[in-house]
Amino acid sequence: MILSPDKKNQDLLGTLVEFAYAEYGSALEMLAAAKKAKSPKLKLGYIRHALDEYRHTALIFKVLSNQVKKGVGKFKREYKFSPQNVILKGYVDKEGYLVEKFPLKKFVEFVYSNEYLAKESFDYLAKRIGDAESLKTLKNIMKDELGHADDSAATLEAIQKDELVHHGMAKKFYESKFPNSKLQIAFKREKMKNRFRLFYYKNTKFLTKIFDPILNFLISCFGRIVNLIIIPNTNKQNLMSNNSKSVV
Amino acid sequence: MFFLGISAYYHDASVALIDSLGKLIDFKKEEWLSRVKGDKSFPRLALQELIDSYQLSEKNIASITFYEKPVRAWITVLKHSVKTNSLSNELTRNYFKNAWKSSMRFQLDLSKYIKLKKIPLLYSDHHLSHTLSTLFYFNSFPYVSVVVDGYGDKYCTSIHHVKSNNEIINLWNSEYPHSLGLFYSAITDFLGFAVNEGEYKMMGLAAFGKPIFYEDLKKTIKFENSKLIIDTKYYDYVRRTDRSYSNYLIDLLKTEPRQPDIPLESEDKNFQIYADIASSAQKVLEEILFKIFKYAHEITSESKFLFSGGVAMNSAAVSKSSKLEFIKELNIPPSPGDSGAAIGAAYYGFINKKNKSAEKFISKNNITNNLFPGKQKSNEDFFELVFEKIANKDMSLSKTAELIAKNEIIATCYGNIETGPRALGHRSLICNAHNSQLIKKLSTEIKKRNLFRPTAPVVLKEFAEKYFHLEKSLSNCYLHMATTAIPRKEFIDDIKGVIHVDNSSRVQICDENLLLGKILTFLKKFDIYLIANTSFNISSDPMVYDKEDAFLATERMNIKYLLTENGLFKKK
Repeated sequence: MILSPDKKNQDLLGTLVEFAYAEYGSALEMLAAAKKAKSPKLKLGYIRHALDEYRHTALIFKVLSNQVKKGVGKFKREYKFSPQNVILKGYVDKEGYLVEKFPLKKFVEFVYSNEYLAKESFDYLAKRIGDAESLKTLKNIMKDELGHADDSAATLEAIQKDELVHHGMAKKFYESKFPNSKLQIAFKREKMKNRFRLFYYKNTKFLTKIFDPILNFLISCFGRIVNLIIIPNTNKQNLMSNNSKSVV
Repeated sequence: MFFLGISAYYHDASVALIDSLGKLIDFKKEEWLSRVKGDKSFPRLALQELIDSYQLSEKNIASITFYEKPVRAWITVLKHSVKTNSLSNELTRNYFKNAWKSSMRFQLDLSKYIKLKKIPLLYSDHHLSHTLSTLFYFNSFPYVSVVVDGYGDKYCTSIHHVKSNNEIINLWNSEYPHSLGLFYSAITDFLGFAVNEGEYKMMGLAAFGKPIFYEDLKKTIKFENSKLIIDTKYYDYVRRTDRSYSNYLIDLLKTEPRQPDIPLESEDKNFQIYADIASSAQKVLEEILFKIFKYAHEITSESKFLFSGGVAMNSAAVSKSSKLEFIKELNIPPSPGDSGAAIGAAYYGFINKKNKSAEKFISKNNITNNLFPGKQKSNEDFFELVFEKIANKDMSLSKTAELIAKNEIIATCYGNIETGPRALGHRSLICNAHNSQLIKKLSTEIKKRNLFRPTAPVVLKEFAEKYFHLEKSLSNCYLHMATTAIPRKEFIDDIKGVIHVDNSSRVQICDENLLLGKILTFLKKFDIYLIANTSFNISSDPMVYDKEDAFLATERMNIKYLLTENGLFKKK
């Protein structure tokens, strides 16, 4: 998911941080894909893609630093890059990388669609960036993103080619299984999903208002109970004789 | 049969596997596979790799041990927060909200990968896991074990009297929030470094400062009448989730906390102040740590120490402990932090199974034969697209030595990865330690590290005494860079690239059977006796794990040569 910057240019720095994590997440996804790929050429392609995404992450933080210097906003502690945030923010699913969860063809479709979406988001972001140097950096990233989308389409073709060799299937089969329209459907599907995510993100304050009273109720009930729980003292005891099944 | 140990959810997650003879078969950190530095999530990738490599199932797993008591760990902090803060406090709420992400979901996560019906699921005490992770490598009882970390399940510091494998008496503890580790982390946070990751940077920075804030910081934490007490007024880790120090600490130090986004350079106007704060915190840490050591000796009369927990990674403090006369031997495991506790957890399962016979069980493990456990698959199929093989397996080490003599920098991704956080040759960037300009380039241009972070030397056993003043009590620590040594005066100019500003070197004394030992043997003919060694990773990335990571890192760092177990490669 890549968040679009706020139209009023509010929290531009926060948006840049989100972009950086999205790129970092992509780098990890591409590296995971490289490790799964059997064909050396495909593996190398994914590694090169990962390299670009790592570079983008660094570049976006550079843009962020430029914006701070320009006085667009103050650097907040939460902007500091922490690799684990890529999981906490949901850019990488801790249950598994995309390449583990999707069949390879669906994975390539996903990459194809999202690289275009990324380019669109960068386009939008670029409009909100004032200084020339940062703009140049972003434009270079945008160019790369388009390149990746092309790569993905090419990869899909390469995979298809491999399949033709492996299974002796005809071009007809390719067109019936992966017509261009399918990619278009995938593209639209991803675009819709992104809109939902954005809607969810923009309404988290509202959701918090709903869930906060529930949480408060739970805390007031269990908080007092927790206070009554006595944690066993192990002082002077042989720790090897303690109950090894106990979780307390 | 195998004994599995798992550590997760708080620090670097990891998995360890011990066989029925008590041998460490494998150890994997989740971050190596997920490529997310400090990954604390359930180690699914690491576990899956072990399941695949050893065909683990309910038929051959004797027990699975988690490294701490999950409910105890969750309740301790929550109880303290409920008691001292309000129910609406940020920390209290955060603990409630994230209960489902805590270690309490361990069994649920584990059951997705292994059928648990027939396998005993055990829970070790957090600090016991640390003690056992050290004991695993040593076997001449009795010992006193000192565990000092940020926070375990209830305790932050422990003293255990280790009389045998199955008699480990818990003699003393310091309960949360009175923690020497959390004190050090809070100052790390104040200095703009990441908690749980930047502590070693602060230790490096400390060498540049003078302890002029020592008296101030001493007011905030003390060890008196056998009690460790921290004044939580100064530390917000007990009430906030976003920072560890309070406004009182800012007032006390009369200094603004460092902004984390600005790189700290020695030319910065505030560099000296921050270095002085780091130096003061380091002095407080050492003073309290040594008081705890002394107390541990007093209540056990033991002079052979086991030391573990995150604070045991403070090599500067470890080095100074050699001045404590009551310590005859100080032993630290290669991975003293929470990830290494998975080894202790697995060992707990092993001893538990042996029960009474464990008392007589003499471990044959030692540090040297357990530095690189595992069975790592190697995939170099794609190398021919990007590398040219310049030496085969049998000639690769002599060729590497030749290149080092020509002042080239070599990356290694050789066989199994190191157990601990320090690169000991298998995932290293190495070069000639007698060339200080080259080391500067390696550190600042290639690894893009701050200048205040030192690069370590490696030396063969036969030359170690010649170059360094060594302490007998720390002899095991030199094997895996757990301590520093003072270089001999006559060699300071010759090896200044691997000497820190405080005139210390975190030296690795190498066995000639290990990879770097073999390379050093070849280097003798070039009059090169020391190698400079730093970990093969980019800052904010975990150590390189497999060949894909290795190639990617060589690209990002612009490294020309890569040494693997199959030969020496040069970029096309």
